[in-house]
Amino acid sequence: MRNSKYAAFFICFVLFMVGSINESAGQTGSDKELLKDASGKELQEIISSYQGDKAVLVNVWATWCAPCIEEFPYIVDLQKKYEEELHVVFISADFPGQRSKALEFLQEQNVNWTTYFKTGKDQAFIEALSSDWSGALPFTKVLNKDGEIIASWEQGAEYEKFERYIKKAINN
Amino acid sequence: MRLYKLLYVLPILLGVGLLAFLPVEDKISDRLEIGSKAPLTDVKVTDVSGEVLTLEEVADKNGLLVNFSCNTCPWVEAWEDRYNPISKLAEENDIGVIMLNPNAAIRDDGESMKDMQARAKSSGYDFYYALDEGAKLAEAFGATRTPDVFLFNSSMELVYTGAIDDNAKAAEEVEQPFLKNAIKNLVSGKGIDPKTTKALGCTIKWPK
Repeated sequence: MRNSKYAAFFICFVLFMVGSINESAGQTGSDKELLKDASGKELQEIISSYQGDKAVLVNVWATWCAPCIEEFPYIVDLQKKYEEELHVVFISADFPGQRSKALEFLQEQNVNWTTYFKTGKDQAFIEALSSDWSGALPFTKVLNKDGEIIASWEQGAEYEKFERYIKKAINN
Repeated sequence: MRLYKLLYVLPILLGVGLLAFLPVEDKISDRLEIGSKAPLTDVKVTDVSGEVLTLEEVADKNGLLVNFSCNTCPWVEAWEDRYNPISKLAEENDIGVIMLNPNAAIRDDGESMKDMQARAKSSGYDFYYALDEGAKLAEAFGATRTPDVFLFNSSMELVYTGAIDDNAKAAEEVEQPFLKNAIKNLVSGKGIDPKTTKALGCTIKWPK
């Protein structure tokens, strides 16, 4: 009886410590699922994994980038509208110190699928996503189900432009 | 006669129709290629001091360094601690330096001449910082973001373009100081490698 009390106390203590560590790290398990670190090469693999299944819209954004923040809700809406045929790959290019800000923004925008946080050097990251991209943010690339590029652009865009190319990607 | 007209018009219509199926790349203009001459070198720009200049006038014996930059971009802020040291290195090597602000669409939102003057003062810029009216120079250079650098030799031919180095956030962790190396190699007559690089930055706010 005494042993079981000790065991219960020990389990509670371990659970409390695990909770504290998670809190101190500032990220819960679901946070980690919402915003995962990824290098350019890993992102290429992630994007290719949808080939044959769905059209893909890749959007590189950052919390400090005004046009990124402006267009972000359009893309979230369109992901929900075309859930069956499209997968949006959001990539935050925020500085490492702003990771929690990026996470907070994703939660505010009700993003409920895995997104990515850029790691590694800029040049390799940019080249991995598109050789036509100069590095200016925001950047968007739309691919059809076969992985062919339908459109890509730097600068912010309106809802109608995103939808136009998403439809084109889905129907191509 | 009508049939002949149709023979002319039909291929044009078909061509235009086919264009709609090509992938779209929204680009303002093509970026200057290595070896190209600096464009619009006689266009007058106004520096934060009030001085009116042209790129021709800023260029020195060994060349010219142009940096498209601004006041409101965090990437500029991240790299800014390298602005003065690089300008010093360029000027010691007889390369003229000018920074141009192309953000024409948001002049009332942090990118006015007054804002530029304040920034030049608070950051202690020791090089020209001029307003690129209507982003004409940025467009002619094919610049896309801030910061975005273009280094020209004594014949005003482009020898390096792209990033300042490979680590915006931490100068002490830079592994490849692209621009510094390009300046040193240009002056010593060695080959520049790489000649083009890329880095993340803020899009230029083009006039609407």
